[in-house]
Amino acid sequence: MSFFSDAQFGERVITLMAALALVLQLGMVSQRWLITNIRLFGVQSFLLAAIAATIAHFNHAPHLYVAAWMTLLLKVVVLPLWLERLVKKVGIRKEIEPLINVPASLLISGGLTLLGYVVAESFARPAAGLPSRELGHNTLAVALALFLIGFFMMINRRKALSQVLALLSLENGIFLAAISLTYGMPLVVELGIFFDVLVAVMLLGILVYRIGETFESTDVSKLRRLRG
Amino acid sequence: MRGMLLPALLALPLGAALVSAVARRRTAMEAANLAAFAGALLVAARLAVTVLAEGPVAVWNGFLYADALSALVIFLTALVALVCGVYAVGYLRQDEREETVAFRKLRKYYVLTPLFVFTMLLVALANNLGVMWVALEGTTLASLFLITFYDRKTSLEAAWKYAIIGGAGLALALLGTILTYYAASRMLGTETVSSLNWSALATRAELLDQTTMRLAFILILLGYGTKAGIVPMHTWKPDAYGEAPVPAAAMLASATLNCALYGLARFYVLTAKCLGPGFPSRLLILFGLLSMGVSVPFVLVQRSYRRLMAYHTIDHAGIMVLGLGFGGTLGTLGMLLHMTYHTVTKALLFLCAGNVQQHFKTDLFRRIKGGVIHVMPLTGFVFLMTTLAIIGSPPFSLFQSEFTILRAGLAAGHVAPVALFIGFGVAIFAGALLHIGKLVLGPSDGAPPATGRPWRDSVLAVLGVVILVMGFWLPSPLYRLIQAGARILGGGP
Repeated sequence: MSFFSDAQFGERVITLMAALALVLQLGMVSQRWLITNIRLFGVQSFLLAAIAATIAHFNHAPHLYVAAWMTLLLKVVVLPLWLERLVKKVGIRKEIEPLINVPASLLISGGLTLLGYVVAESFARPAAGLPSRELGHNTLAVALALFLIGFFMMINRRKALSQVLALLSLENGIFLAAISLTYGMPLVVELGIFFDVLVAVMLLGILVYRIGETFESTDVSKLRRLRG
Repeated sequence: MRGMLLPALLALPLGAALVSAVARRRTAMEAANLAAFAGALLVAARLAVTVLAEGPVAVWNGFLYADALSALVIFLTALVALVCGVYAVGYLRQDEREETVAFRKLRKYYVLTPLFVFTMLLVALANNLGVMWVALEGTTLASLFLITFYDRKTSLEAAWKYAIIGGAGLALALLGTILTYYAASRMLGTETVSSLNWSALATRAELLDQTTMRLAFILILLGYGTKAGIVPMHTWKPDAYGEAPVPAAAMLASATLNCALYGLARFYVLTAKCLGPGFPSRLLILFGLLSMGVSVPFVLVQRSYRRLMAYHTIDHAGIMVLGLGFGGTLGTLGMLLHMTYHTVTKALLFLCAGNVQQHFKTDLFRRIKGGVIHVMPLTGFVFLMTTLAIIGSPPFSLFQSEFTILRAGLAAGHVAPVALFIGFGVAIFAGALLHIGKLVLGPSDGAPPATGRPWRDSVLAVLGVVILVMGFWLPSPLYRLIQAGARILGGGP
C-alpha cells in the first residue's frame, strides 16, 4: 500500500473530491427542492471532512483530524437533521424560488467559477526565492468558486431557509480555502468558528420559524415594511 | 496581579448572565447586571492606568492582550454598558408596568445583554485575529434576539436583515482573516505566528506577502465595514437600531460600532506596514465619503427619529473611517477622539429618544403633537443639547474631533474629500437640527408634564453634564490613552 504515503496521490484524491464538491454546489443552484438541497449540503460537507482528513494524513497535520471530525459531526449529521426537522415543522412544501431562472443561474455560476480560477492563479505564483508549500491551486480555485456561488445563491433566493443554506455552503467554501491554503486555522480559532456556525444556524432557524408563524410565509422578499 | 485584570473583565459579564439565567426575582437580575457592569468599568479604568504606566498587558501566552487601543475600546464599552444598564432598569420597569413585555422577556434581556457585553469585550481583548472574528460574530449572535425583543412584525424583519447581511459580511471578513494567516505563515513560518497573534504580526508586518494582504484588506474592509454599517452594506442598520429596545440600540450604535471599527483598524495597521499607507488610505477615504454622502438624503427626509439617528450613525462611522484614511498623527488622533466623543454622545442621544418614545408611544415625528420640552423638560433639554453636540456644533467635543480630522485631511493634501466632508456635514447639521428642534421645541398642546423616571432621568442628567464638560476638558489620563492608541494606529509600538 505504498500509495498511502505518496503525496502526489493524495493531491489527486483531494482535487477529485474538491471537484465533486463544486459539482454538488452547482447541483444546489440548479434544483428546487429544499430537502434535496439540505442533503446535497450534507454530502458536500462530508467531502470537505474527507478532504481535511486526507490533508491531515498526507501532510502530517494532526490537528486537521479534529476539524474533520467536527465537520462530520456538525455539518454532515447535526445541522442537516435539524434543518430537515425545521422544514417539516414550518411546513414548507414549496420549492426554493430563485429570482433568476435556473439556466441563467448556472451560467452565472460558471462565470463565478472562472473568476475563482483567475483569483487562485494569482496565488499560484510563488514569490521569488520562497518555497511554495500550498496545495495545488485547483483546490483553492474550487474553494473560491464555492464561496462566490454561495454568495450568489444568497442574493438569488427568496425563501428564508434557502438563504440560510446558501450561507452554509458559502461557509463551506471558506473552510475549504482555509484547509487548502494553510492546513486549517489554529485549533482554537477552528473550534470558535464551528461554535459560531452552530449557534448562528440554530438562531436563524428559530427566526425562520417565527417569521413563518407571523407572516404565514417564509418568503423574505415580503419583508418590506421597513424602508427609508 | 495585573494579568488578572483581563480575565476579570470577561468573567464579570459572564457571571451576570449566569446569575440572571437562574434568578427568581427581577431585582436580582437587575442587581447582577448593574454590579457586573460597574465592576467591569472599574477594572477597565484600572487596566487603562496600568497600560499607560507599564505598556501592554498579556496573559495566557498572549491569548488575551491589551494595549492602549484595546484599553480605550474596553473602557468605552464598559462605560456604555453601565450607563445603558442603569437606564434599562427604569425603561424595562415601565414596559412591565404597561404590560408591553412579560416577565419572561425581562430574563431574556438581562441574560443576553451581559453576553453581548462579554463578546464586545472579547473583541478588544483577543490578540488572535481569528478569535477576534469569532467574538465579532458573537456580538451579532448575542444581540440578534435583543432586536426581536418586542416581537413585532417589523422587529422580525429587522432581525432577519441584521443576521443575513451581517452573516454574509462576516463571512467576507473570515476569508480575509484566513488570507492574512496564509500571508503570515508563508512568509514567517508557522512557528513564529502559529496562533495568528496581532502583537506578533505587527512587529514583522513588512515581511507579509503583499498580493495576499491587498486582497485580505479589501475583504476585511467589506466584512467589518458591514458590521460597522459602512455604505453599501449599511441597510440593516436603521432597521436594527429602530427596532431594538432603546438601551440595546444605544449599545449597538456606540459600543458595537467601536468594536467593528477596532477590528478594521487592527488590520489597517498590518496592511499599512506591509503595503505602505497609500493603498488602505484610498479605500478608507472612498468608503468613508460614500457613507457620509449616502446618509445625507435619509437624514433630510426622515419620518422617524430613531431611524434618523441610525442614519446619522452611518454618517459618523464614515467620519471615523475617513479619519483613519487620512492617517498620520492627526488623522488617527482625530479618529480615536471622535470615537470617544461619539460613543458617549450617541448613547445619550438614543436614551433621550427612548424617553420620548416610551411617553408618546411612537417614533414618528408627525404623531408627536406637542413639543417634548413642555411635557418632559429635562429630557427635552438634554435631547436638544445632545443633538447640537452630535451634529458637531461648538462648544461641544465632536466639533473638535471633526475639526482635527479636517486638519488631517488638509495636511495630507486631500482637498476634494475635505470639501465633500464639509458639504455633507453642513447638510446633516441642518437636517438633524431642524427635525429634532421641531420635535423638542414645538408648541405646547396642554398635556400635563410626565413624572417618575428616576433611573432614566438621573442617567440623562449625569451624561448631559459629562458631554458638556467634555467640550472644554478631557481628563488627562484619557487623553494620554487616546494619544497612545493613535500612535499604535500610526504603526508605533
